[in-house]
Amino acid sequence: MAEPAFPLADDTALRALFAERLALSDKALDDARPILRHLLGNDDHELFSDRIVAAVRAQLRDVAFQLIAAVETAAGNLDPRGAAEDSCDSLALAFADHPLLLGHAHALALEVALAERLAARLGLEPVLSPLLQELIASHDAATSASAMNLLAAQARFGQTQRRGELPLGELPGDLLHAALIVMRTWIGADDPARDAHAAEAECAIRASVDEATSRLGLLHRLVAGMGGKAIAALDLAHGGIALFATALALGSEHERDRALLALSEGQVPRLALALLACGLEPAAVVAQVLALHPDAALPLGSDSLRPASAAALLAGADR
Amino acid sequence: MNPGAVIVARGRSDRDERLLSADEPLATLQRACGGSIPGIVAIPQLLELVRKAGHYRMKLARVVHARDESSAISAWVEVSPDDEGCALAISNWRAAPLGSAGSMGGDDDLAGVAAQCADLHARLDARQQVLAVSRVGAPLEPLAATMREASGRPWTDFVEVAGSSHRQPLHWRLLDGAEVTCSQVPGRWVARLFPLGGEHGAVAGFDLYLVAVEAGPLPDPDVPRSTGDPAVDPLDGVLGRDLAPALRQPIARIIANAETIRTRLAGPLADEYAGYAGDIADAARHLQGLVEDLADLDAIEAPGFAPAPDRIDLADAARRAAGILGVRARERSIVVEVPGESAEVPAVGEYRRVLQVLLNLLGNALRYSPEGSTVRLEAGLRGGRASVTVADEGPGLTREQQAKVFDKFERLGRGGDGGSGLGLYISRFLARAMGGDLVVGSVPGEGARFTLELPPG
Repeated sequence: MAEPAFPLADDTALRALFAERLALSDKALDDARPILRHLLGNDDHELFSDRIVAAVRAQLRDVAFQLIAAVETAAGNLDPRGAAEDSCDSLALAFADHPLLLGHAHALALEVALAERLAARLGLEPVLSPLLQELIASHDAATSASAMNLLAAQARFGQTQRRGELPLGELPGDLLHAALIVMRTWIGADDPARDAHAAEAECAIRASVDEATSRLGLLHRLVAGMGGKAIAALDLAHGGIALFATALALGSEHERDRALLALSEGQVPRLALALLACGLEPAAVVAQVLALHPDAALPLGSDSLRPASAAALLAGADR
Repeated sequence: MNPGAVIVARGRSDRDERLLSADEPLATLQRACGGSIPGIVAIPQLLELVRKAGHYRMKLARVVHARDESSAISAWVEVSPDDEGCALAISNWRAAPLGSAGSMGGDDDLAGVAAQCADLHARLDARQQVLAVSRVGAPLEPLAATMREASGRPWTDFVEVAGSSHRQPLHWRLLDGAEVTCSQVPGRWVARLFPLGGEHGAVAGFDLYLVAVEAGPLPDPDVPRSTGDPAVDPLDGVLGRDLAPALRQPIARIIANAETIRTRLAGPLADEYAGYAGDIADAARHLQGLVEDLADLDAIEAPGFAPAPDRIDLADAARRAAGILGVRARERSIVVEVPGESAEVPAVGEYRRVLQVLLNLLGNALRYSPEGSTVRLEAGLRGGRASVTVADEGPGLTREQQAKVFDKFERLGRGGDGGSGLGLYISRFLARAMGGDLVVGSVPGEGARFTLELPPG
C-alpha cells in the first residue's frame, strides 16, 4: 500500500487512520448514489459496470411495473400489464430518486454479481452453500424447515434477478412502504377515481406481503437463530454470499444493504472493521478479505483492534 | 406465519401500541424494561416494530434486540397487524449474559480506565516483548527511552516485578496487577496488561499500562504487607483481593456458556464443536481453580490470619474427603480406602481447613495415580501427634521433588492438568498455622505419602 506504515503502538494513530479511511470510503459511498442516478438518466457507464446499472434499472422498473399493474387492475383495465409497460419508466425514475430504494436495488445487483464471482473463483454454488446444507440437515425441525424455505427463496432470487425482477413481496417492509408512497405521490390526487384505485391497490398489496416469508426475512431469521454459531456464516466459502452478508449485517449492526456495499472493492477497511466487530479472529478477517479481494492490502495493525473498538469506529463513521 | 417457526411466545397489542397480553418470557421482559401488562410496549425495538406494522398495515418480521438487568436478549418477532392492533409471535428467543458479545470486549472498560491514568503505555507482542512505547508521562520518560532503545525484549527486563523471583515474564494474568519498580526512577507502579486480538487463547499482543500506585484504587502503600517472608511476593494481595472477585463472574459465565454449548442446550451441534466447548469449560474451570487458590493464598497470607481451632476427628474428616471426591475416583476407577467407621483420631484444628487440606491431597493423588490403582487414607496417632496420611500408587517423588513440592507455583514440570501449583503451598501453610505440619515421604516408583499432622485432641 502507498500509505506509510504507522506505529503499531499508537492506538490513536490507528484509530485516526481508520477514521480517515472510513471518511474517504463514506464519501465514495455517498457519491455513489448521485452517480448511479446520473448513470440511470444518461448512458454513461464509467464507474459502474453495465450489468449492475442494467440490473438496478430493471429492478426499479419491475417494482414500478408491478405497482402500476396493480392500480390498473383495481381500475378494471382489461390490459393492466400493457398499460403498466407504457408508463412504468417514469415511476421507476421516481424510485431512483429515493436513496434507500435505489441503494437496495444496487445492493441486490451487487449480491448477484458477487455470488457469480465467487462461483467462478471458489466454485461456490450460488444457491446452496455448505452452511445452508448443514442447516437443512439440522436436527431442529424449525431450523431445517426455515433452511428449506430459504433454499427455495434463494433459487427464486437467482431467477428473478436474471430476469431483472424484484417482486414486491421481497422488498423489506420499510422499502415497500416507501415505494407505495412514491407511487401514490406519482399518481397524484388530481383524479379522484384514479387515486381511489391506487388506494385500493395499495391496501391489497400491504395485506398480501409478509416479511417473514421473504428471502431477506428467512435469512435474518436463520442467522439470528444460529446465535453464537452465526460466526460460521462469516466464512464466504462455507456460508455463501447471502448468509455471509446477513451475518455481517447482524454482527456489525449495519443494514444488510450497507454490508453488501462493504464487500465491494475500495471498501476493504470497512469490511475488515465490520468482520472484527462481529468478533471474527484477525486471521479469519484477513482470509475473508482476501477471498473477496485477492490483491487487497489490509491496514497494518488491524489485527490488534478489539471488536468493541472496531464497532465504535464503524458507528462513528456511519453517523 | 412462517411454517418453519416454533413460536415460544405470543402476545397482542392494541391500536395504541399497548401490550394487552403476553406469554412468558415476553411478559417478564416487558416488566424488566419498565412496562406493565396492559401497558405501552416497553421494549424499544419491539415498540418500533409494532408501530411500523400498524402504520404500514403489513406483516413485518425482524430480529428484535433487548436487554434486561443481566442478559442481552434477541428474538425473532413476527408482527401481524389487524383491525384491533397487532398479533405478536415470537420465536428463537436467545438470552446471553451481558458483555459476552465481543471476544474480550469486557476488558475494554478496564483498559480505558488504565489508559486514562497510565504513566506509560506500551504495545507488546504475544510474548510480552516490547514493540513500541507511547503515551509517556514525565516520571517514566527515562524508562521509556530505555525501552525504545532495546525494543524486542520482554518488558519485564526493564522493571523489577517487586519480590518475585520467578523467571519473567510470567503468564500475563499473573503479571496483570503486579506492582513494579524501576531502577532509574523512584516510585512504584502497577502493571496492567490487556490482551489484544485473537480468540481461543491465541493472543496477538498486549497493551501494557504502568499506573502510578497513588493514581488509582490500588493497594495503599502505607499498609504493611507480609513482605518479610522472602517466599511471599507482593503479587498476591493485588491478585487475590482485587482480581479474584473481578474474575469469578466472567469465568463462571465462560463455564456456564461452554457447558450450554457442550450439552447442546441451545441447539444441535457437530460432535467436534461440542468437544471444543468441553475443552473451553475445562480450561475455564482450571482458571477458576487458580483464581480461588490465589484468593485463598491472599486470605491466609494476610497479616492476622489465624484458623479457629476446634476438637475434631481426623478419621471422620478423611471419610468425608473421600466421599466428596468419590465421583472423581470412580471416573478413574481408583479405589479409595478410608478409615473404618469406628476409627476415631481426635485432633485440634479448624475442621473446614483440615478438610480443605485433605481434599487437596486426595485430589492430587487421584490426579497423578494410574487408573485402577488404590489410594489409602490412614488416620492415627504418630509420635504424640494426630495424623492422616494420603498414600497413592503413582510414580512417587524424587528427593529433589520432595524438597520443592511445597513451593509456591511449583508444578514439578507438570502442565495442562488443571493444577495451579498453589495447592500444596496453601495446605502446608494451613497445617503449620494450626500448629501442625504437612510432610511428604516417598520412594520413586512406590507412590507418594503426604501426611498431615495436627496436635492431638
